[in-house]
Amino acid sequence: MAVESNVIDAAGPYDRAKALSAFKLGDLTFYWITRLSAISVLLILGGIIISLIVGAFPAMKEYGISFLWTQRWAPSADPPVLGALGPMYGTLVTSFIAMLIAIPVGLGIAIFLTELCPQWLRRPIGMAVELLAGIPSIIYGMWGFFVLGPFLANTFQPFMIKIFDGVPVLGAIFAGPPSYLSLFNAALILAIMVLPFITSISVDVFKTVPPVLKEAAYGVGCTTWEVVRSVVIPYTRVGIIGGVMLALGRALGETMAVTFIIGNSFRISSSIFAPGTTISAAIASEFAESDGLHQSGLILLGLLLFVLTFFVLAAARLMLLRLEKKAGK
Amino acid sequence: MTDLSVSVSSNAHLASQQPLPEAPAKVTVRNLNFYYGEHHALKNINLTLGANRVTAFIGPSGCGKSTLLRIFNRMYDLYPGQRVTGQLMLDQTNILDPKLDLNLLRARVGMVFQKPTPFPMTIYENIAFGIRLYEKISKSEMDDRVEKALRGGALWNEVKDKLNASGLSLSGGQQQRLCIARTVAVRPEVILFDEPCSALDPISTAKVEELIQELSENYTIAIVTHNMQQAARVSDKTAFMYLGELIEFDDTSKIFTSPSDRRTQDYITGRFG
Repeated sequence: MAVESNVIDAAGPYDRAKALSAFKLGDLTFYWITRLSAISVLLILGGIIISLIVGAFPAMKEYGISFLWTQRWAPSADPPVLGALGPMYGTLVTSFIAMLIAIPVGLGIAIFLTELCPQWLRRPIGMAVELLAGIPSIIYGMWGFFVLGPFLANTFQPFMIKIFDGVPVLGAIFAGPPSYLSLFNAALILAIMVLPFITSISVDVFKTVPPVLKEAAYGVGCTTWEVVRSVVIPYTRVGIIGGVMLALGRALGETMAVTFIIGNSFRISSSIFAPGTTISAAIASEFAESDGLHQSGLILLGLLLFVLTFFVLAAARLMLLRLEKKAGK
Repeated sequence: MTDLSVSVSSNAHLASQQPLPEAPAKVTVRNLNFYYGEHHALKNINLTLGANRVTAFIGPSGCGKSTLLRIFNRMYDLYPGQRVTGQLMLDQTNILDPKLDLNLLRARVGMVFQKPTPFPMTIYENIAFGIRLYEKISKSEMDDRVEKALRGGALWNEVKDKLNASGLSLSGGQQQRLCIARTVAVRPEVILFDEPCSALDPISTAKVEELIQELSENYTIAIVTHNMQQAARVSDKTAFMYLGELIEFDDTSKIFTSPSDRRTQDYITGRFG
């Protein structure tokens, strides 16, 4: 008996060390696998930036900084004259109008779903919103081209043009003639496409508001609107802005649907009912038949979009930081 | 306010064992029944809350005391499937009237919750917010009202130098007193406390209890508590509830010294609950 127990005692520490070293190997492998996965993100990002810069280099050398404020886009001229002002303008304006429409509507749907909606209506509306996010963008493009465009050109656009005719500034923004293909149509489609992002993220963050906090607000005599405005939205502000930024990122980069309905005109017009183009639409519609300097110019456009998106996201971060400071957190 | 003896008696009567003079009824409950869907949560409740008195509700968890409290300001209205029958009067107002303006009712019947619930805004705004819902007053008047409310919540000296800090930056006990100050700022007639000290440390608890004593000079108070010493310390009347029924309702001194029902006695001596 005594001998046996000695053997076990002797074997015990030995086995334990071996087992531990086996764990160590597993741990090390695990560490390196996760580490490599994380590093690969940096590599991919860096690779994309480098190849964009390399591809865009000939155009950068040819046009220099004036690429940013040249409006003319004549790839078939000799030598080609290329400028990014039109696509940049179109990208910013369509995204801005899209957010102008989508933020209030998206938040409105979220507030209705979480605070006011009767139980039986909650699921159908919630599911409809999620389905909206699932529709492929090409379908939005076709619908915009065949249905929404003609509808707007025949009803909404003439109406707005007539109302604001002769009004300074607004008259120029809503100027005729009505068109199937326009910045406004593209912005409206974009608004519908980003709506689900804003709504579903807002619904999720609204649900994180403690019920007792809402009860307390109702308890001092708030109406539902006052509870939402003064308690629910401030409490969830950071999450809402996150959702809006995600939506904005999507709107800036959206290609297919916009290419269908924006009209692909590089000329800048003061009217939002005039055709225009965006960076991604310009690339998508011209890349296949481009070569040489023209292709390099398109890649430079892509690089610009990249930088633009980066700055938008950075600005959003900054805004969040300042908001948090102001709230005294 | 008018009857000084009431406020003095709050502390004194328990020691002296003298029965309290009856206060005029502020809230009257008659044959009240409450249902969560099919579940019959409150059974035929009858009682009155005396004006400027503190009424404590005690009983084991799930006995319906919080439910009863949430009927007084119609908080149950926020949730579907909950309904009430019977009669509930605040002075001459029928609280259960479906056409009653709930915002006005909740201005008259304030509530302080179990967990501190400061709004996500500055300390100043936490108080001013409620006032602004009902009154349009100038900035200087508002400053006065905020100071008065914070003094009423025994918080002024601790926060007067940081009124623009977030309400969430305060400690738990301070947050709870901020919530009391916020409730007082709206100038309600009745204040409901739903286990206001269960998340607080003993020192904060003592401060809140003292505050409740002071508030009873001007307000009618109902407090739900699991702490029987607390009920004995702060209240004039005590209601013992069990399984949705009101078992016994009497002067606090009587409930804690010679209860007339066997179950009350078992509960306060710790034999069940």
